Amino acid sequence: MKALMSLGALIGVAGLLLLGGMFFDVVPSNTVRLVEGYMPIQLLLEVACFVIGFTGLSYMMNAMGMALPRFWQGIGFWIFLMVYLKYRVYPPIPFSVRAMYGTVGLVTVFMWVSANEEDWKKFKQPIMNVLDAQTGMNRLLRYAYLVLIPILIGGFSFNAMMPKSEEPIELRTVHPAPPASTKVHGKTYTLQTSQNPYRVNPEGKYDQEFSNANIVEQGMGRLMKPNANPWDEKNQGYLKYVREGGEIFFQNCHFCHGDNLNGRGLHAFAFNPIPANFTDPGTIAQLQETFIFWRVSKGGIGLPNEGFPWASVMPPWEQHLTVDEIWKVVLFEYWHTGYYPRTWD
Amino acid sequence: MMDSMTQKAGIIAAAAFGVVLVSSAGYSSVSAQGLPEGFKKGDLAPEPSAEMIEAGKRVYFTKCVWCHGVDGAGDGPGADRLWPRPRNFNQGTFKIRHTASGELPLFDAKKPIPGQNDLFETVTHGLPGSAMPPWEGILSEEQRQQVLSFVTTQLVKDRKFTDKQSESQTVLQLADLKPKPATDESRKRGGELIVEKKCVECHGMEGRGDGNAFNLKDDWGFSIQPANWHKCWNFRGSRQDPYNVANIFRTFSTGVNGTPMPSFADNTTVDERWDIANFVNSLCERDPLGNPLPIDPLTDKPKINFVIPSDMVEGEIPTDLEHEAWKKAPKRYVAMGGQITHKPRNFVNRLDDIWVRSLYNDKHIVYLVEWDDRTKSVAEGKLPWAPTQVNIDVKEQDPKTGEEGSIAAHQNNYAVYNDAIAIETAVKWKELPAPIKPRYLFGTNEQFPMDIVKWEADGSLRAFKGTGWDKDFEERDNYEEAMKLLKAEWKNGRWYVMIQRPVGNKKDQDYDEDTFFEVGQYIPTVFFAWDGHNGDAGRKMAVSAFYYTFMNPPVPQETYIYPVVIAVGVVLLEGWVLTRRSNKKKGKTL
Repeated sequence: MKALMSLGALIGVAGLLLLGGMFFDVVPSNTVRLVEGYMPIQLLLEVACFVIGFTGLSYMMNAMGMALPRFWQGIGFWIFLMVYLKYRVYPPIPFSVRAMYGTVGLVTVFMWVSANEEDWKKFKQPIMNVLDAQTGMNRLLRYAYLVLIPILIGGFSFNAMMPKSEEPIELRTVHPAPPASTKVHGKTYTLQTSQNPYRVNPEGKYDQEFSNANIVEQGMGRLMKPNANPWDEKNQGYLKYVREGGEIFFQNCHFCHGDNLNGRGLHAFAFNPIPANFTDPGTIAQLQETFIFWRVSKGGIGLPNEGFPWASVMPPWEQHLTVDEIWKVVLFEYWHTGYYPRTWD
Repeated sequence: MMDSMTQKAGIIAAAAFGVVLVSSAGYSSVSAQGLPEGFKKGDLAPEPSAEMIEAGKRVYFTKCVWCHGVDGAGDGPGADRLWPRPRNFNQGTFKIRHTASGELPLFDAKKPIPGQNDLFETVTHGLPGSAMPPWEGILSEEQRQQVLSFVTTQLVKDRKFTDKQSESQTVLQLADLKPKPATDESRKRGGELIVEKKCVECHGMEGRGDGNAFNLKDDWGFSIQPANWHKCWNFRGSRQDPYNVANIFRTFSTGVNGTPMPSFADNTTVDERWDIANFVNSLCERDPLGNPLPIDPLTDKPKINFVIPSDMVEGEIPTDLEHEAWKKAPKRYVAMGGQITHKPRNFVNRLDDIWVRSLYNDKHIVYLVEWDDRTKSVAEGKLPWAPTQVNIDVKEQDPKTGEEGSIAAHQNNYAVYNDAIAIETAVKWKELPAPIKPRYLFGTNEQFPMDIVKWEADGSLRAFKGTGWDKDFEERDNYEEAMKLLKAEWKNGRWYVMIQRPVGNKKDQDYDEDTFFEVGQYIPTVFFAWDGHNGDAGRKMAVSAFYYTFMNPPVPQETYIYPVVIAVGVVLLEGWVLTRRSNKKKGKTL
């Protein structure tokens, strides 16, 4: 038990030092990188590590006779959580979301400190002590609070009332419901039944298995399968069209969606909302190929009403590309990210 | 005009004199073995293993081939629409190095160590200001080394990284050279040296890259432009650490292979190089307190605040940039991207940011827009189409590089049109029905149009109405007299344009046509910019995202009253709690 706890304490100290070092630029602020596409789970794991660390730390301090009162443990953990959310998470999350997490965190802390009567008593003891002011120190504290709290609250409300120009928050629907069918270059495509005409095997037959076997490998780098090079001259079918789709992508799309399809292209920094990140498991991996076909063809302006705000500068690509080219680009996007398009069955 | 001519002549004379001085004293900077100061002889790295090369091929044909091409000649499918162009590896010419001018960069497939592996660092951090992204976090360290093993052995064709006969490595010992503190004195000396060393000839009097910007070509004959020292985040060698003076020191010491930028190692001492680096670094944009701008790690550009605050002034809005009101007004970085969604598409836009400030009084709002443009362009050619027109008849695909009319051939060779800037605001922005926000970039329809104010370098200030994504802009002659151009000046590679327009009022403004600028509200605002020497005209332009103009309201009286009331309330509450507690205690003890 003790060994386990000391290990925990070690994790806690190491984690805090690392985090502190990164905040104050003692070590490079990207020492522990947020891994693209896995950020939410990584953050959860990190917080879990810290919880383990704190448990170990508090146990060790207890064992060494330097126990931290429950009161300060609770407050400390909550402050840690808020600091973590504000400074660790990137891109930053808006205050309103942090406030929600903060409230949930506060409730959790309260549940923890009030798990039983004795704990609750221990928790509120310091407050009571200050209220009762039996010792000189507490008396001093009481007067200090008496003055400080009104000043702080007054100050906060003054701050809150000062006219401010913070960016208004605009939420948007990530995957608006697609229409049943879409008309591109004079031909109507039913989204439920249409297929990518280039997802074909060398014989020219629609073949999902063949194409799925030739996409890039999942894992670091998302590299092509060793024997499935789209640049091989001998390719027929799927891989040949992947290359053609890539050519179109790198002439039209990468400016925003990026060389690695992660939404960080050459011009992406100028736009808000930022271009879609196709490597994120929440975008094209969740959708059917026909959905992408519709979005590419109709662009931001073609979004339905619930897809507001229409701040997207994605153009209706049907104005620049032929139907074949659009299908090939869609094919390339799935190849390059290594995702299988969703199917209706 | 006359003034600037004489000034320039004076500087060239001074520079020439400086060169004479330096060349006579130059040898002092060369160390005993004949190496430039700060350099040491290095060894060529061993050849990467065959497995590394083979594995690298797989990385190359997944990630790199799309721009750099099958043979690494920088001619992949993406290349024609990029500027700067992707690197042609065949000649072994690499820009960012620790090695002496003309030498191959450092690359060791076994040592991914910063400072000892130039190519690895380039792949890791990318080349900001170009389309080369940072591959850190996308490719593992090993994969990055593998792909470089492939590139250096298979795609570099004219030279050999391991050939002791023809190659040498003279390595800048950057780790051992301690940066000189950036004192005023050091910067001052640097400022003199850049004139003396003729840096200003290409980089311009203020370092905005506006010097001899038009005749510069790289080794392959493609147009390139000198760096703008005020945008250090676009320095190719900035290694995602743009305000680090060591990067400038390195580039200055080693030169940029394949470009007209020479190495200054032979005719400057290390001490002088630090002075120059400190000076160049000091030019990069900073906040009002002089601190580096916060850089967004996702984009490697300054972080963006989408609100453009406008402060109120009493009486006339000053036109003098040095006026206190303008100095106090917050300056916002507005990022610009190429307009690539409508024909004619602007793939190689040169304006990637503008800086905006704003002031207002009871009648007018003024935008002060500043942006770096290497050339002052006033229309020489006549546009083959009306500038308000969209979806004009131009070919979807430009001819390939090497053929007539390609993008690369056009660079620095366009018919010159007007430099221009436009501010677009939403009309009836308050009335947008809740589920629909019809303010797509160029207005949604007749009902929800956009109000566009455009200044052009020929001095015109005009108003347009945008009524739809693929509708031509309509000119609004009747509004033009309501606006006023307070300033339009091009100086040393930077435009300063001040545009005044009415804020409008409820009584005599026509809301169906004009934007009503209401105090304390967020008014959707977009910026367009044109670089006339880049052939920008009509919708071939740079665009920003939607920003918000926010006219700071005067602080209301209540702001001072309520907090006091609240504080007093808290005191009373505290009294109540304390009394209650002591009563309770008394009750217990009694």
